[in-house]
Amino acid sequence: MIKLFFVTDIHGSSVCYRKFLNALPIYGVDVAVLLGDLTGKVLVPFVAKGNDAWECTLMGQHRDIGSKEELAEYKKVVENAGYYWVHQTREEFEETRSDPANIDALFKSLVFTRVQEWLDLADERLEGKPYQMYMCPGNDDWFVIDDMIDNAKLVHPCDKRIVQIDNHEMVTSSASNPTPWDTPREMNEEDLEKHLRGLVDQIKNQETAIYNFHVPPYGYSLDLCPKLDETLTMSAEEKIHAGSIGAKKLIEENQPLLGLFGHIHESRGAQKAGRTLLINPGSEYSEGILKGVIIMLDKKKVKDYVFTSG
Amino acid sequence: MWDAFAVGFMNQGLTPSIWVVVSLGVGTFLGANLIWATVISVIFAGIGFPLVWGILGGSMPRSGGEYIYNSRILHPIVGIAQSFGDAVIWLMWIYVLAPLAVDPGLTMTFQFVGWAGAANWLTDHTWSAFLVATLFNIIGFMFVVFGIRIFAKVQKVIMFFGIGGCAVIGVVLTVTSRASFMAKWDVWVTANGSADLVYHNFSNVVAKAAGVASIPTTWNWADTLGVMVAMSWLFAYAYSISFIAGEVKRPDKTIILSNLFAILVPAAFMLWIGLAMYHSIGFQFLSASGYADNNGIDAIGKLPWSTHFVGLAAVMAGGSAFGKVVSAIMGLSYVAFTMWWIALSYLAFPRILFAWGMDRMGPKWFTDINPRFASPVKNHILCFVLGEGLLALYFFKLNSTMQNITVTGMQITSVFAVTALAAVLFPYMKRSKGVWDSSPYKTWKFLGLPMVVWGGAINLIYLALLLYEFIFKKAAGAFTGGSTILFAAVWVLGVIWYFFWKQRSKSVGVDVSMTYGELPPE
Repeated sequence: MIKLFFVTDIHGSSVCYRKFLNALPIYGVDVAVLLGDLTGKVLVPFVAKGNDAWECTLMGQHRDIGSKEELAEYKKVVENAGYYWVHQTREEFEETRSDPANIDALFKSLVFTRVQEWLDLADERLEGKPYQMYMCPGNDDWFVIDDMIDNAKLVHPCDKRIVQIDNHEMVTSSASNPTPWDTPREMNEEDLEKHLRGLVDQIKNQETAIYNFHVPPYGYSLDLCPKLDETLTMSAEEKIHAGSIGAKKLIEENQPLLGLFGHIHESRGAQKAGRTLLINPGSEYSEGILKGVIIMLDKKKVKDYVFTSG
Repeated sequence: MWDAFAVGFMNQGLTPSIWVVVSLGVGTFLGANLIWATVISVIFAGIGFPLVWGILGGSMPRSGGEYIYNSRILHPIVGIAQSFGDAVIWLMWIYVLAPLAVDPGLTMTFQFVGWAGAANWLTDHTWSAFLVATLFNIIGFMFVVFGIRIFAKVQKVIMFFGIGGCAVIGVVLTVTSRASFMAKWDVWVTANGSADLVYHNFSNVVAKAAGVASIPTTWNWADTLGVMVAMSWLFAYAYSISFIAGEVKRPDKTIILSNLFAILVPAAFMLWIGLAMYHSIGFQFLSASGYADNNGIDAIGKLPWSTHFVGLAAVMAGGSAFGKVVSAIMGLSYVAFTMWWIALSYLAFPRILFAWGMDRMGPKWFTDINPRFASPVKNHILCFVLGEGLLALYFFKLNSTMQNITVTGMQITSVFAVTALAAVLFPYMKRSKGVWDSSPYKTWKFLGLPMVVWGGAINLIYLALLLYEFIFKKAAGAFTGGSTILFAAVWVLGVIWYFFWKQRSKSVGVDVSMTYGELPPE
C-alpha cells in the first residue's frame, strides 16, 4: 500500500507551499502531488514615502505603513495570501502603472521568481528523503512554468504524460475548459476532450489508473461553484456546474480507479462515478490553510482516504 | 447579507419567541419588566453573540457550525462531543416546534376565525396533531432538501408573512387603549360564560389558581433577570448563520453583521410590543394572563382561546369579519415562524454531519452532495427519519411541557458556553495559531485585548446569568434529573463516537489527527 498526498490550487501562497513540504514527513506519505494553479493573481506595490514609511492598497483598502517592522508584517500577509509585493518609489509606481505591458512584465518576473524559489526549497528539503513529489501547473499558470518544473532536480513533472506510481499509471492534465478569466491553458470542450482522450488512451490498465485532471468532470458535486453575473460577482444562492464534459465522458467510459481534481476551490468533496472514486480536496489558500487529501492505495483499489486541513 | 440575516433572524422566531417570553417567561416570573429585560439582554447578547459567532465564522468560513471552531481551537474530542449535543438539539427542535406549530399555532388561528371544530380536532386527538405535525416536518424537509436556492427564495416569503403578522400584532396592541381593551375583554369573557374573569377580577382568579396572595402590580429585579431565560429565545439563536458560513459572500463582514442585525430587529419588536402591551393590557393583567396560558388554569377553560399575547390581541381585533382576518394573520405569523424553525433544523443538522464526514468522523456518505440540488440529500433524509421518530415519541410517549426549556438549557451549556470559551481562548491556543494569524480580526482590539476575547467573556457572563436562573431559580425545570442525564449521555455518546471513528480510521491506516492538526509553515 502507498500513501498519496494530493493538494491543489495554492495560488502563490508561500505559507501553503511550505506547509505542503512539511506535510510529507508529518503525514508520513510516500508520494505527494501538487497540482496547479500554482501562481497568484495580485501584485501589491509598497510605495516609499520616505523616512521609513510606505503606502499600499491591500484587499481593497489603502494602508499607511509607519515602520520597517510593520512593513515586514505586511509583506508576510501579502505572501501568505498568495500575492506578490514589490518596493517602488512614487516615480517607479507611476511609470509601471502608466503601461499595462510594464505591469505584465513586472508581475511575471515576480511570479516566476517565486516558483523558482519554491522549486529550490523543494530540492533542499527533499534531498536524501524517500518522498516522491510531483508538480503540475493549472489553467492559470503560464507555460514558462512547465520548463521550470522540468528543470527541477527533485520535483518531478507530470503534466501531459503518464507517470508510474507504484502499481498505478497516473495521467495528468493542467488544461481546463473556458473560464470567464481567459486563462493561458483553456481549451474549448471539443479540443479539451481530444487532448484528454489522447492522454488516457496511452494508459495500459484503466482499472488501476489515476486521472489527475485540473478540471473536474461536469455534473458531479465536485464542480459546483457560485454562478457569476455579468460583472463577475458571485451569487450566494445559485450554484452551477463548471466542470468539463470531456472529462466526464472519459471517466464514465474508462472507469479508472481514481480521479483527482482541483480548479473549483469551493467544492471540496468525494464522490463515486461508477467504480471510480472522484476527489477534489478544495482550496483555502488565501486563509493560509493547506487543504489536501491523503489516499491509501492498494494494488488494485483505494483502501481509504482522509481529507486534511493544516 | 440579506439571506444570512434571514437565516439568523428566522431562527430567533419573533412571534413564537415573544409568546415564550410572555407566557413562559412572564407567566413564571410574574414581576418581570419586559423593557429592562430586553435592554439588558440586548446589551449582553448584542455584543457577545456577534463577536463570538461572527469572528469565529469569519475566521473559519465553513458550513458546519461551531464544530469547526471548537474542534480546531479546543480539541477534536470537545468539538465532536458538543457538536453531537448540537446535532441532537437540532433534532429535538423538530419535535418541540412541529407540535407548537400545531398547538397553539394552528389551533389559535382556527379559534380566531371561529373554526372551533378544526381546532378541537387538533387538540383532542393525539393522532390528528401527530399527522399535522408530520405535515409540517415534511414541509420543512422539502423547503431545504432541494438546495439553498429554493430555501432562500421560500425563506423570503415566509419572513415577509411572519414579520408582517407580528407587526399587525404590534399595531393592534398599540392602537387599542386600556379602556377599549377592558371593555372588549369583559364582553368577550361574559359572552363565553366566564363573567368571573372580567378585567378587574381576572388577576384575583389567577392568583387563587396560582396559590399566591396576589399577582404583582409592579416589577422587581429578580423576576426581570429571570425572564431573560425565556428571552434568550429571541436573542441567542442567530448562530444558525454559522451553518451556512461557507456559502456566504464576504464572510468576514457578512457573518458578524447579520448576527448583529438578527438580534437588533427582534429587540426592536420586543420593545415595541412590550411597551404596547403595558399600554393596552396593563402590567398585572399581562402577568396574570401569561400565568393562565402557561399553566392552562381551569378558570379559562370556557374561553374560545387561551390568554397568550396573540390571543389578547385577537380579543382587541374583535369578532367582525375584518377582525377575524386580522386575527388570522396574527395567528399565521406564529405558524410561519415555528414552521421555518423546522426548516432551519434541516439546514443545520445535515451540515453538521457533512462537517464530521469531511473530518472522517462519520461514514463517507455523510459527505455525499447531490449534484443536482447541491445539497447533502442523504443527510436530509436521515434528519427527516430521526425527526419523525422523535415526533412520534413526543406525541405518544413524552409530551412534557418543559421540553422546550430542556433543549434551551442544553443549548446554553453544550453549544453557546463551549463556543464562547473557544472564542476567549482563540488568540492564545497553539492548536489554532495559524488560523488566528490569518484571521481578518487579528487586529481588532479594545484595551489591548482582542475583540474576540471580549465577545467571549461578555457572552459567558450572559450565559452564566441564564444558567444561574436555570439551576437555582424558577426556570430550574430545565435541569431535572432526566434532562441532566440526557445532557451527560449525549456528551458521552459524542466522545464514544469520536473514539469509534478514530479507531475505525486507524484500522485502515488513517490518522484522523491529520484533519485537525496545524501544519508548521517553517
